[in-house]
Amino acid sequence: MAPVLELKGVEAAYGKAKALHGIDLRVEPGEVVALLGANGAGKTTTFRVISGLMRPSAGEVRFDGASIAGCSADAVLRAGLAHCPEERHVWPEMTVEENLRLGAYLVSQRIEIERRMERIYLRFPRLKERRRQSAGTLSGGEQQMLAIGRALMSAPRLLLLDEPSLGLSPRMAKEVLAVIRELQGQGITVLLVEQNVHNALSVASRAYVFETGRVVAENTSQALLDSPDLLKAYLGG
Amino acid sequence: MDLFLQLLANGLVNGTFYALSALGLTLVFGLMRVVNFAHGEFYVIGGLAGWALTNAVGLHFFLALPIVILGMGVFGLLIDRFLIERVRDQGPETGILLTIGLSIFIVNTALLVVGTAPLKVVSPFLNRPIFIGPVVVTQARLFTVALCAVLILAVHLLVQRTTLGRAMRATFQDATAARLVGIRTRHVYGLTFALGSALAGTAGMLLGSIYVAQATIGGIVSLKAFVVVILGGMGSFAGAIVGGLVLGLVEAIWGGYGPSGYVDAVGFALVIVMLLVRPYGLFSKQVERA
Ligand SMILES: Nc1ncnc2c1ncn2[C@@H]1O[C@H](COP(=O)(O)OP(=O)(O)OP(=O)(O)O)[C@@H](O)[C@H]1O
Ligand SMILES: [Mg+2]
Repeated sequence: MAPVLELKGVEAAYGKAKALHGIDLRVEPGEVVALLGANGAGKTTTFRVISGLMRPSAGEVRFDGASIAGCSADAVLRAGLAHCPEERHVWPEMTVEENLRLGAYLVSQRIEIERRMERIYLRFPRLKERRRQSAGTLSGGEQQMLAIGRALMSAPRLLLLDEPSLGLSPRMAKEVLAVIRELQGQGITVLLVEQNVHNALSVASRAYVFETGRVVAENTSQALLDSPDLLKAYLGG
Repeated sequence: MDLFLQLLANGLVNGTFYALSALGLTLVFGLMRVVNFAHGEFYVIGGLAGWALTNAVGLHFFLALPIVILGMGVFGLLIDRFLIERVRDQGPETGILLTIGLSIFIVNTALLVVGTAPLKVVSPFLNRPIFIGPVVVTQARLFTVALCAVLILAVHLLVQRTTLGRAMRATFQDATAARLVGIRTRHVYGLTFALGSALAGTAGMLLGSIYVAQATIGGIVSLKAFVVVILGGMGSFAGAIVGGLVLGLVEAIWGGYGPSGYVDAVGFALVIVMLLVRPYGLFSKQVERA
């Protein structure tokens, strides 16, 4: 099967400091794949390169076979790839509703936007209750749901989720996992960065392990769960 | 009592003018967070261009006005693209230094071209007095106040109700999030700065027909515009109006009853008090959660 997303030898740097030293990865359609690794390993940077927030200094990024390396963020989103960033990045002074609507910024048909809003509200009734409230007043968990909802407003085929359960209670973290499973059920491919290895491997079928800007291991979740020593070696317990 | 009413009227008129002068800065400083010390100089360029077109070239005021608006918009776009963009995301200090440099450059260029003389924009509005009860206002001022109100309302609606306005608010609250929903933030920055410059220039031309246009008045215009924006609460249009009116009224009443030498200082005293009492301004909606 042709991969939906493929990275080959991707390098990227912040100024002179190189953050990625040649990343290779493949994601098949409909898969949930996790990126694991210690702080500063380059997971977020990889996402930033994929979604067009950052230009790679070398390498190839292909989405559905077409090169998107160095494309602008709006072009990547238009192609069907959405990025739900680390730390949520909701607009604190805008209402929940405005946040969601802006998620469909590139969509011009009003009816389509309304239809998507309804779907999001149906899935996240809390957001509907709070739709007139400014996003900055939501709880961390609600803000995370809003960030995911906003990313879904673009109706992506591939979703990048960066640490969606960061700072959430275990119950809310479970809720996030449930949402990811539902997205997979709807045929959306998900690439997930997650600090909680067990949570990540419970939804993902495969995982890549990052270390200082390189991929040091790639395996099925089952294999990784079966060899805790391996995981410990890479992730430092 | 009649004196008081007259002062009140003068204050409201001047206050509206202050609000207009600050409108561009409300966008550029209040929303976009560029501490633009060249704001007053943009106002000066608008005034001088208005004078050149209506006086030297002899165009009608309402033909010259759109030319000034458009010209200042393009000027602002270029300034953003070639200067401001280079210091974006590098903290306020570099922007401050940049715009101070720009203001010095503009003042001196203006001095070189038109000298120090006060120049009057030719306008069709008459200086005929209109009597409203015991209060006297000139026709020209009344017209200009109405024009100010229309402009302020238009900009408010633009920011609150249009797609561009939403893109602006999104970009200035969180540029990363804005890029991730497909907003071309580079254009948004450019357009906002262009709009801010166009508004500053418009204010300069409108008020250049009431007062005068002069190469050296930019400094005080900038300072008062900052007073208005800070009084009103950064980026709030209702706040900018109220900030302008408060400044106009306080100055008028102080000028009528107090020692006149201190009129210009009153506004700054107000800001100091404001920052102590309500540091986010009269109209800010500070979100509680961090
Ligand atoms: N804006 C930045 N400017 C400079 N260096 C950065 C920047 N963002 C990240 N880096 C550096 O790039 C490297 C990779 O960071 P990245 O954020 O991609 O890691 P990560 O795997 O997402 O870590 P975490 O688990 O902490 O989120 C780190 O060494 C980091 O210090
Ligand atoms: Mg990260």
